[in-house]
Amino acid sequence: MGEFKKNELAEKRGYSYRLTRRQFLVATSAAALAACGPAAVAPGATGSAAASPGKTLKIGQLLPFTGVYSELGNSMRRATELYLKLNDNKLANRPVQLIYEDDANVTATGIQKTQKFIDQDQVDVMMGVVPTPLAYGIRNAVHAAKMIFIDTNAGGNFLTRDVPNCTPACKSPYIFRASFSSYQISYPIGDYLSAKGTKDFFLAYANYGFGTESAADFTTGAKKNGGNITGNVAPPLGNADFAPFVTQIKNQPTKNVYSFFSGADAVGFIKTWNQLGLPAAGYKMYGAGFLTEQDVLKEVKDLANGAVTSLFWAVELDNPENKKFVADFQKQYPLLPDVFTVQQYDGMRALDEALKKLGGDTSDKDKFSKALEDVTFKSPRGDFAFDKSTHNPIQDIYLREVKTQNGQTVNTITDKIAKVTDPGK
Amino acid sequence: MTRALRFGLVAIAVAALITFPYWSAGWESSRFATTVLRDVLVFAIFALSLDLLIGRAGMPSLGHAAFFGAGAYAAGIASQRLGTDQLPITMGAAILVATALALIIGALVVRSEGIFFLMLTLALAQIVFAIAFQWTSVTGGSNGLSGVGRPVIGGLDLTAADRMYVLVAVVFIAVALLLSRIVGSPYGRALVGVRENERRMRALGYDTTRLRLSAFVLAGAIAGVAGALSAYSLRFVSAQDVGIATSVRGFVMVLIGGAGSLFGPVLGAAVVMYIERVLSSAIPVAETVLGLVFVAFVLLARQGIVGVGLAAWARVRR
Amino acid sequence: MSPELVFQQALNGLSFGALLFILAAGLSLVFGMMDVVNLAHGAFYMLGAYVALSVVQRTGSFWLAMVVAPLALAALGLVLEPLLLRRLRGRHLDQVLLTIGVSLVVVDQIGVVWGREVRSLAAPAGLDGSVALYGGDYPLYRLFVIGFGVALAALLSYVYSRTKVGMRIRAGVEDAEMLGALGVDTDRLFALTFAAGAALAGLAGVVAAPVFGLQPGMDLDALLYSLVVVVVGGLGTLGGAVAGSVLVGPADTFGKVVFQEFALAVIFAIVALVLLLKPTGLLGRIRIAR
Repeated sequence: MGEFKKNELAEKRGYSYRLTRRQFLVATSAAALAACGPAAVAPGATGSAAASPGKTLKIGQLLPFTGVYSELGNSMRRATELYLKLNDNKLANRPVQLIYEDDANVTATGIQKTQKFIDQDQVDVMMGVVPTPLAYGIRNAVHAAKMIFIDTNAGGNFLTRDVPNCTPACKSPYIFRASFSSYQISYPIGDYLSAKGTKDFFLAYANYGFGTESAADFTTGAKKNGGNITGNVAPPLGNADFAPFVTQIKNQPTKNVYSFFSGADAVGFIKTWNQLGLPAAGYKMYGAGFLTEQDVLKEVKDLANGAVTSLFWAVELDNPENKKFVADFQKQYPLLPDVFTVQQYDGMRALDEALKKLGGDTSDKDKFSKALEDVTFKSPRGDFAFDKSTHNPIQDIYLREVKTQNGQTVNTITDKIAKVTDPGK
Repeated sequence: MTRALRFGLVAIAVAALITFPYWSAGWESSRFATTVLRDVLVFAIFALSLDLLIGRAGMPSLGHAAFFGAGAYAAGIASQRLGTDQLPITMGAAILVATALALIIGALVVRSEGIFFLMLTLALAQIVFAIAFQWTSVTGGSNGLSGVGRPVIGGLDLTAADRMYVLVAVVFIAVALLLSRIVGSPYGRALVGVRENERRMRALGYDTTRLRLSAFVLAGAIAGVAGALSAYSLRFVSAQDVGIATSVRGFVMVLIGGAGSLFGPVLGAAVVMYIERVLSSAIPVAETVLGLVFVAFVLLARQGIVGVGLAAWARVRR
Repeated sequence: MSPELVFQQALNGLSFGALLFILAAGLSLVFGMMDVVNLAHGAFYMLGAYVALSVVQRTGSFWLAMVVAPLALAALGLVLEPLLLRRLRGRHLDQVLLTIGVSLVVVDQIGVVWGREVRSLAAPAGLDGSVALYGGDYPLYRLFVIGFGVALAALLSYVYSRTKVGMRIRAGVEDAEMLGALGVDTDRLFALTFAAGAALAGLAGVVAAPVFGLQPGMDLDALLYSLVVVVVGGLGTLGGAVAGSVLVGPADTFGKVVFQEFALAVIFAIVALVLLLKPTGLLGRIRIAR
């Protein structure tokens, strides 16, 4: 983590809104004790929407800083602050005030903090959200409040699709996604591999919404070209011991295994895969890109060699924007950027571009939404544009193979599937 | 203090609590405070129901979230499947399902005690959690159940933040009154008797197993009410609502506030939610603070917040 | 299931069970001796793993970590018991709240000191390979874990039955008050017991790290599993911890792959089943602790 410790965050969180915070603490304390009498009434509530050019732009960031996803929250905070630093802390000439809220990976907490952005902070735009259930949980409130929300991680398909009854979620004019849909990181690789002649696959995926969604999309892609799924194992999310499941894989004949795991699960899966000798037995690992992202590779290193995964970015991606992005990031922090950083950075960029078109005026949310729809730019991941009908990004998907070169284990780009669009329903 | 004076004070406090969103409307943070206080009251109901087990009947359940979650899911699913927003129907479904589940689990656990009771309730609640997490076609699984219907009574829509708050506050007062009645009744004293000396109670002719089971079911039903209120408030049910974290949160609220008192669990709910929801955005190590608060309460406030308050009151009167 | 598959899964189950035993032994000791349910046991396990990570990073020696981490945890236990737990004897609910508080603080501070990224620890040199067994290659380290678990059980059993300390422990499990009346310094004995329990948690953290890795949330998993083992086996006795881990390890392993959709609940179904059939656990005597 280097220089980025939590007490620093406290200062950053506190400096710009300490006064309201204290008033609020007093107010709620009083309320909690059911004290009568308005002793704690906050003086001089401003109430102004502050939405016009030149005034402070409030960005609400709902991220996890405690719990299992806290490292993702840290990555995304670094990206936000890097972008602002490179732009003199201004977007479209408006000074920026960041309001961080910690959802702690508790859905109820996240929903309530979103309500705080709407009711109390009256932010001009909201960003962040790591877990998909939280994105689904806040969708209706965000939509009803016409608050522009740029999702910079949660990848559940439904958030940007037409869904009957909007259950569990559906697209909204006010919701944009700067990350990906699970379709985009799962379907294309199934389509690609089966078209190249690999037909039989075994599936291994974390048994929760996102894992099953990824497995289903991969299956659709593989079957498109006559592919076939021969079986599956589905460990529970956050599974500790992977040996039982990898042993099952080893005792079935299909050698090509598509897997969806991320973070700690991915590390456990890849290590056990090697300990049980699957590479030597001829098994080959495929997966959605999170299986071999930096957080995983730095722990498993060459154990992941040979794995082929699909994602919309890789730190090694060879384009000028990515080179500059990686260099800028490393100038600021003593580590490599990861995919979560890119998602958030692109979210900031998209916001910046839209604001420039609006002259910084965020008061009309429908105009704000239109401006975001028209945003296109060259991102570290390649050409970035929002699909106007779904607000999910249209992006290139890269096939990456893990290789160890000069002692560094990296994702090397082997092919590209251009302009992958989510089907939207 | 005369009785009339005490009654008057309580009435004023109750009125102030229920009307909070209106008299606080001038505050800058009134709307957010209203939602925080709403959730405090939801969890206060939950903690009160758990205290009936921990503080009165001596049954330390670590699986109480099963009934909170059952109520929340039942209210949400009933509104979706039956296509109705009517609160009497959805709340009725919540109470029904929570009660039935409490009957089943209760029948299995009432005979065990102490750590075994703790572990058995935990284990059975985790099985309920696994069902909620995996049964995607009914519960929404890990993605949660979204699009929970509005709470409507007749033609009165209670969805708006202020009305939703009033609904929760009124239910809270009703539950508190009900529990205070129960605790003071012969039934409530019999429960305490079972906790203190089960053998003697049996010798006195009480069916102690049945007493314990009835307390377990009653507590489960009230937790189901809290769950339904949570579903209406958030318009969403998360699998976490059934999870161990929710059970532990309730447990801790009861212990911090002071088990076996009416105000204790309520204050405990306020303290825990305040640290989790409000203080957490102002300070970086909220969990450390929460942990230290627990330790401090155990060491310094033996009977919880209420215990400290009573001791101070006794000293003042002396 | 083919016989090869059953054999390999049985090994998986046994090595998992051996880890569970190392983990649960400390919890069981503290419970049996002091009548304390230490809900900070999972946090101690986690701390042991992170201390090991630092030791391996500094010195490169896994074996040194296996000494240092338990010692560090023992020291922590020696401080915490007299400072916090001693005055709570017999107050079970307060002990629960206190140990939850301690675990919150420990886990949060681990995050501050070591960060909250996913980390892993390699098996020590010599044990990082695999050997050919029936049904294919099997990782040596997991076999080592089985051996280590058995050796630890044997050692603890020897200490319990043949040494003076063990005699006092057994007497303490039977009746701690009487032990005090007989002139044994129970304060000192309890502090040492708690320290030993914490050390065992730390040891489990080191041994498990190459298999399970290090990440936020590992404390809760460990706590739940160790509680399950202790309760299933029968409270507070060494034999109970052995029986519990030998049952739970393989049952969880087979259950997860056979009832895949129900994998999350397998462990708890085992608890429910055992306690409903035998309310005091497999080897439990009638001992009600409120």
